[in-house]
Amino acid sequence: MADRILGLLCLALAVAMAWAAHGYAAEISYEPVGPRAFPTLLAAVLGLAGLWMAVRPGRAAVADAHGGAEKAPWLPLALTVGAMLAYALLFQWLGFVLATALMTVPVGRCFGGRPLPLLATGLSLGLGLFFLFDKLFDVILPTGVLSFVLGGR
Amino acid sequence: MNTLEHLLQGFGVALAPVNLLLGLIGSFIGTVVGMLPGLGPINGVAILMPLAFALKLPPESALILLTAVYIGCEFGGRISSILINVPGDAGAIMTAVDGYPMAVKGQAGVALSISAWSSFIGSFVAFIGIVIAAPWLAQWALAFGPAEYFALMCFAFACITGLMGDAPMKAVLAAVLGLSLSTVGLDSNSGVYRFTFDSVHLSDGIQFVAVVIGLFSVSEILLMLEQHLGQVPAIRALGRNMFNRAELALTWWGTVRSSVLGFFVGVLPGAGATIASAMAYTMEKRLTDTEGTFGKGDIRGVAAPEAANNSSANGSFVPMLTLGVPGSGTTAVMVGALSLYNITPGPALFTQQPGLVWGLIASMAVCNVLLLIMNIPMIGLFTRMLALPNWILVPGILAISAVGVYAIHATTFDLVLMVALGVVGYLLRKAGVPMAPLILGFVLGDMMEQNLRRALSITNGELSILWGSPIAIGLWVGVTAMLLVPPLYRRFGRRSPVAVAAA
Repeated sequence: MADRILGLLCLALAVAMAWAAHGYAAEISYEPVGPRAFPTLLAAVLGLAGLWMAVRPGRAAVADAHGGAEKAPWLPLALTVGAMLAYALLFQWLGFVLATALMTVPVGRCFGGRPLPLLATGLSLGLGLFFLFDKLFDVILPTGVLSFVLGGR
Repeated sequence: MNTLEHLLQGFGVALAPVNLLLGLIGSFIGTVVGMLPGLGPINGVAILMPLAFALKLPPESALILLTAVYIGCEFGGRISSILINVPGDAGAIMTAVDGYPMAVKGQAGVALSISAWSSFIGSFVAFIGIVIAAPWLAQWALAFGPAEYFALMCFAFACITGLMGDAPMKAVLAAVLGLSLSTVGLDSNSGVYRFTFDSVHLSDGIQFVAVVIGLFSVSEILLMLEQHLGQVPAIRALGRNMFNRAELALTWWGTVRSSVLGFFVGVLPGAGATIASAMAYTMEKRLTDTEGTFGKGDIRGVAAPEAANNSSANGSFVPMLTLGVPGSGTTAVMVGALSLYNITPGPALFTQQPGLVWGLIASMAVCNVLLLIMNIPMIGLFTRMLALPNWILVPGILAISAVGVYAIHATTFDLVLMVALGVVGYLLRKAGVPMAPLILGFVLGDMMEQNLRRALSITNGELSILWGSPIAIGLWVGVTAMLLVPPLYRRFGRRSPVAVAAA
């Protein structure tokens, strides 16, 4: 079933790609092959492969190199993805140190950590990596709301 | 200048204090990353690549660091295979078959030291192979025109899909998805923006680092959620640390055979360490297993796959350096790393930047020695690190990944893209779509399109140029063979070692 869905999704993507690529034309063309050909070719291959998958699905899907787990752990999965997304969105505004500390608690919780040790881990990760990269290695990281303490923007 | 002089020049680069230090750091990080289940060479290289760039390391130093991490990972993977029966990276799957039973019998120390030794021999054999083969191949590759390059890239895709085992169609899907991702952004030939949806962030194309880290690190973390409950405690009693002379003699020829085999498998684009180690193990079992001890803790079954695994990882540098076409996921990431420096690998690099190419080759030998030293006397340090719980490890990986992605453009958009691609990567992997062809497609996409267009410009649109030379015809024959032989062999032949490796 997963294979059929995958195939149909790829087929849909291929159609969308071909449709979008249809309009790509150079205003002045110097070469026989323009910007449209390659994406169209890819869309064709993608569409054919997707169609194949939809018509002739393989055996039950197995996650690569891990062996299949019978059932995905939905709650931790949603929590981790949510925490990651929040991390990405708050990274600049909140600053690296606080965002990292804040991300560590829910993500670590999903991997079996307890709240207090996680908070400590998160803060030391944030501060440690901040000083390592920003101060020592000169890889500039956002300081966010802590900019009055850590300096920078 | 001949090869020897170039090599000496390379050692001059690799042994410069900064590069030696980077080699040491890279080897150490690589061993740790390789050892931790769930993190493989591709993750290690992907996470360190943007950092090396952000640290403003010169290109040869950055490459030496990444090479050290890659080779280190191949050394490190065996540690968790032997001690917790979970391969640290895909190449070490076969090492667990005999390594873990050895550890259960109280010979963990011997298994670790003999596998470090055979890893060293494997890398060393591959190093010799590279020094001999690379300049020769690069010379030959200078004759390649755009049509031959296009055919060569098709050959790389044919190899990686044909050898992917169970689901070649999914590998095709992955490769095409990767190629499609690479078309996003400004088309430099015509000035047309493709698939950008009028977003400023996409006009320059999808950021490579965000793609690699999203598809490999973030999706890996999501996959790890399913397994953290089943963690096995590591075997603590290591027993005797060093292998003795009898054990060395027993494994010697198997190690050498597997090293040579691994090198040739590694040179073939698309094959790589997992297939090499599986083939070596099967070969040794057929040749030497007279008492049926393989699988029950036979030391020969530990040495052979490790030798093949390492020599193939080193060998996979050959197509990347000489042809500019990476043959594996990890070397594809390295090509991406070079592109951050505006360096395109390929045969011309041997004449234009010999210091870079030969420095990289020499650093393989240097790191190999460093890794042997690290992995035999200091093994206790690494085994203790296996006790690091995931609830500390995972947030740490995520934070360092985010630093790497952020370091390139400093935008929130790239971070969100990283997470989004991570979720997509997770779903694709759950559906059984392999990631290596995808990343290969993403890296090769631009080169493939440009060469196709250049070739067709020469003949003003006449397709026949694509098969207009003996080299191109030979490559197309190779493409056909790669696509047809493995499925036919699977249907009519015995279950091949390749299929076992991919299963």
